[in-house]
Amino acid sequence: MDYKNTVEKIFESGKDSLDDMEVFIEQEKEIEIDVFEGEIDKYNISESGGLSFRGVSNGKIGYSYTEKIDESSVNLIIKDAVENGKYIDSLDKEEIFSGSKEYEELNLYNEELSKTPLDKKMEFVKSLEKEALSLDNRVVSIDGCSYGEVESYRILQNTKGINLEEKKNTAYCYLSVVVKENEDIKTGSSYIVSNDFSKFDYKSLAKEAVEEGLSMLGAKSIKSGNYPIIFENHIFANILETFIPIFLAENVQKGLSLLKSKIDNEIAAPIFTLIDNPFMEDGVGSRAFDDEGMATKYKKIIDEGILKTYFHNWKTANKDGISSTGNGYRGSYKSPLSIAPTNLYVENGDSSFEDLIKSTDHGLLIIDVQGLHSGANPVSGDYSLSAYGYEIENGNIKRPVNQITIAGNFYDTLKDIEKIGNDLKFALPGMGGQIGSPSIKIKKLSVSGE
Amino acid sequence: MLNKNIIENVLYAALSTGGDFAEIFVEDKYITNMKMVGGLLENSISGRDYGVGIRIFNGFNSVYAYTNDSSEENLMKVAKEAALAINLEKKDIILNLMKSDIKNNNKVIVLPKSVEKSKKIEIMKRGHFGAKNYDESISQVTVSYLDEEQNVLIANSEGLLAEDQRVRTRLAIQSVATKRGEMQIGYSAPGASMGFEFYDNINAEEHGKEASRIAKTMINADLCPSGKMPVVIHNGFGGVLFHEACGHGLEATSVAKETSVFSNKLNKKVASPVVTAIDDGTIPNEWGTTNIDDEGIPTKKNLLIENGILKGYLVDKLNGRRMNYEPTGSSRRQSYKLPPTSRMNNTYIAEGKSTFEEIVSNTESGLFAKKLGGGSVNPATGDFNFAVMEGYLIENGKITKPVRGATLIGNGSEVLEKIDMVGNNLKLSQGMCGSVSGLVPVNVGQPTIRVKSLTVGGRKGDE
Repeated sequence: MDYKNTVEKIFESGKDSLDDMEVFIEQEKEIEIDVFEGEIDKYNISESGGLSFRGVSNGKIGYSYTEKIDESSVNLIIKDAVENGKYIDSLDKEEIFSGSKEYEELNLYNEELSKTPLDKKMEFVKSLEKEALSLDNRVVSIDGCSYGEVESYRILQNTKGINLEEKKNTAYCYLSVVVKENEDIKTGSSYIVSNDFSKFDYKSLAKEAVEEGLSMLGAKSIKSGNYPIIFENHIFANILETFIPIFLAENVQKGLSLLKSKIDNEIAAPIFTLIDNPFMEDGVGSRAFDDEGMATKYKKIIDEGILKTYFHNWKTANKDGISSTGNGYRGSYKSPLSIAPTNLYVENGDSSFEDLIKSTDHGLLIIDVQGLHSGANPVSGDYSLSAYGYEIENGNIKRPVNQITIAGNFYDTLKDIEKIGNDLKFALPGMGGQIGSPSIKIKKLSVSGE
Repeated sequence: MLNKNIIENVLYAALSTGGDFAEIFVEDKYITNMKMVGGLLENSISGRDYGVGIRIFNGFNSVYAYTNDSSEENLMKVAKEAALAINLEKKDIILNLMKSDIKNNNKVIVLPKSVEKSKKIEIMKRGHFGAKNYDESISQVTVSYLDEEQNVLIANSEGLLAEDQRVRTRLAIQSVATKRGEMQIGYSAPGASMGFEFYDNINAEEHGKEASRIAKTMINADLCPSGKMPVVIHNGFGGVLFHEACGHGLEATSVAKETSVFSNKLNKKVASPVVTAIDDGTIPNEWGTTNIDDEGIPTKKNLLIENGILKGYLVDKLNGRRMNYEPTGSSRRQSYKLPPTSRMNNTYIAEGKSTFEEIVSNTESGLFAKKLGGGSVNPATGDFNFAVMEGYLIENGKITKPVRGATLIGNGSEVLEKIDMVGNNLKLSQGMCGSVSGLVPVNVGQPTIRVKSLTVGGRKGDE
């Protein structure tokens, strides 16, 4: 579609009723392949996109968007933006940004991935399912075996001189297996996210998921009490992701985070460093400019336990009298501007995963938690989560454990970190950035079981 | 929404490589979203979602493609591209599209689009003040407003041609209470398949007060004890227990591939005899009600469990083929961007005979979960979890002090057997359910029930 022409028309038609204007366009091309019992059970393809519009009138900003990008929508989006801006009475100033001096040059598009023939990708998913089923006769079914690819294109153009675009691609693969022994049913899963197809290894993915499922057979609950807890890397990343709202300036300013006035204070154990790195190679959250056109930055959020900064966009930074951290974020062209990390991760520590286990007399290794969207409260920091994993005794893994909950408060958990592993891994990307962590040992958490 | 000739041409193109069924889904949706923080309108956004999805079946397998460009030229291109995934002899299918008559379950009086923004903001302000003025411990109030008008057209190679309009309205109020450097939240979020007349039926201020009442109660609550105990789950959103613990396992998405604990259990006992459960997509103007599902089939009242015996599943067309089971009008999707699959509409446990007072007074000691938060389930194992938003201890058959931070965990088939009392006070509540075909509006519901024994995860004792 000829966006250039449409954007010009929008700016031309809007100039009478609006002072500054911005157009944000997102286009996506996706493929998804699911395999079931040796066949391509589901094959999805798409090409879609949307256009979001922001316009300033009388110092107030109004939003509108459309997925029908043609001339018929031009007048409607301008009219809607004017109407939406009219009633804004927030005292925080929001502005269309005039651009940063310099932007990092990033190569986020891997040509090799798009050139790899579809057949090869389909074969890969089929091999993955076959391999998983062949590893052990207790693997009774596969409840998820899929490969997907997303190619995205972001355009930001405004009447203050910004004209930016960025193209990237990424692929993922996910496997979930069901294992059964007598009446005992368990599941195990594995995944990979990367734009380098040569890293996709069906044998290791199948092995990981099957081993996880099998190792959970015979799991039982454990006596309620306080235990030292080791969170496996991607699980700590999931928990961290849930509590990202406490680090967003938006929430701090609105009294929805207890990190208010905690800059330069110790909020975590001194061995804990948290980094936001938008320039990571092959990073799902990598980007040279944020969703309002600010150049992105590498920064430490927590440096050896000390809170260094919140995540900011232009509006929240302006309110605090500092410059934006380049974390302006639009969930999609349908969402207003908010804030999100890029590639956020806990820096590797100096213990190996084995050291973490060996250092534990009697505790639990948690390999999965459920209910983060409901059992964790990003305002209070409280969490109580269904979990499973293994009991550790005298520095060795003893048996699988399930039907337990672990409960704590995230603010306390950050301070109770005892050891950090050196096995940084990124979790499956959710909304807003990509989050990673090494495995982490917490002094103790309350466990509810029998 | 799309010319009949174009629809026919696209369906023929989709079937050109031997597919045995093709379907086209056109969506045109207008949304308004507003957010108010601390009584001030923070942002307001509105826009139009527009796209077309094309689905092709080949036996048990399916191909799906979507696009925003509905020109005939592009749709033909997309249909042909999708069809490339199938490589068979073209079947002899002749199209004869017949427009379906649709029964309207959701009568709408005032289309949200026709209402001035200022009136919508007025409603939000009422919610805000109700919440803010409730108590001095309330430190922040966030009010979200949503309305949408979704127009859909569904046509398929079996001759179906159906159009429907879905109008939905919702107000969500979140209150935060602060005390001693701690924060707790309370939430109330009524919604319906109605237009702006919804606000003649509900009182925004009362919902604000309710959100604040919960936040205030919880900021003054003690930590919840942990362990196994009897749990009395109150009516309304308590129904999320059944939704998670059982409902998802009855969706054909997992039953068809026999990855659900409820696969092959039809007409077998799966629950205690006091449990009867229903999914009903036809209740007038309810949040989870639609006239037709996203495959164009009229919604139904589906009996799932009757007196503890499994009576039915929720089935879509594709999984129905694998299961050899008629579709139940339960196929849903968030938007044209996702192919539809079997989902819940308004799911609830039917009324029993006990009164609320009987249930509480017959419980020596345990937990009263008055309001639940969300939860999730692994359909393969049936293991579920959900959060208690507002909980109280039951001591000597009486509800005593409030407790916070509790999570309930268990196993779906086990918990169904352990429900030993069902009240006579059925109530439905609104939620958004996320699964393979995206987020869809659903009602959950139940009367007050008692679960003999459930693992309660609390934090008491971790100091």
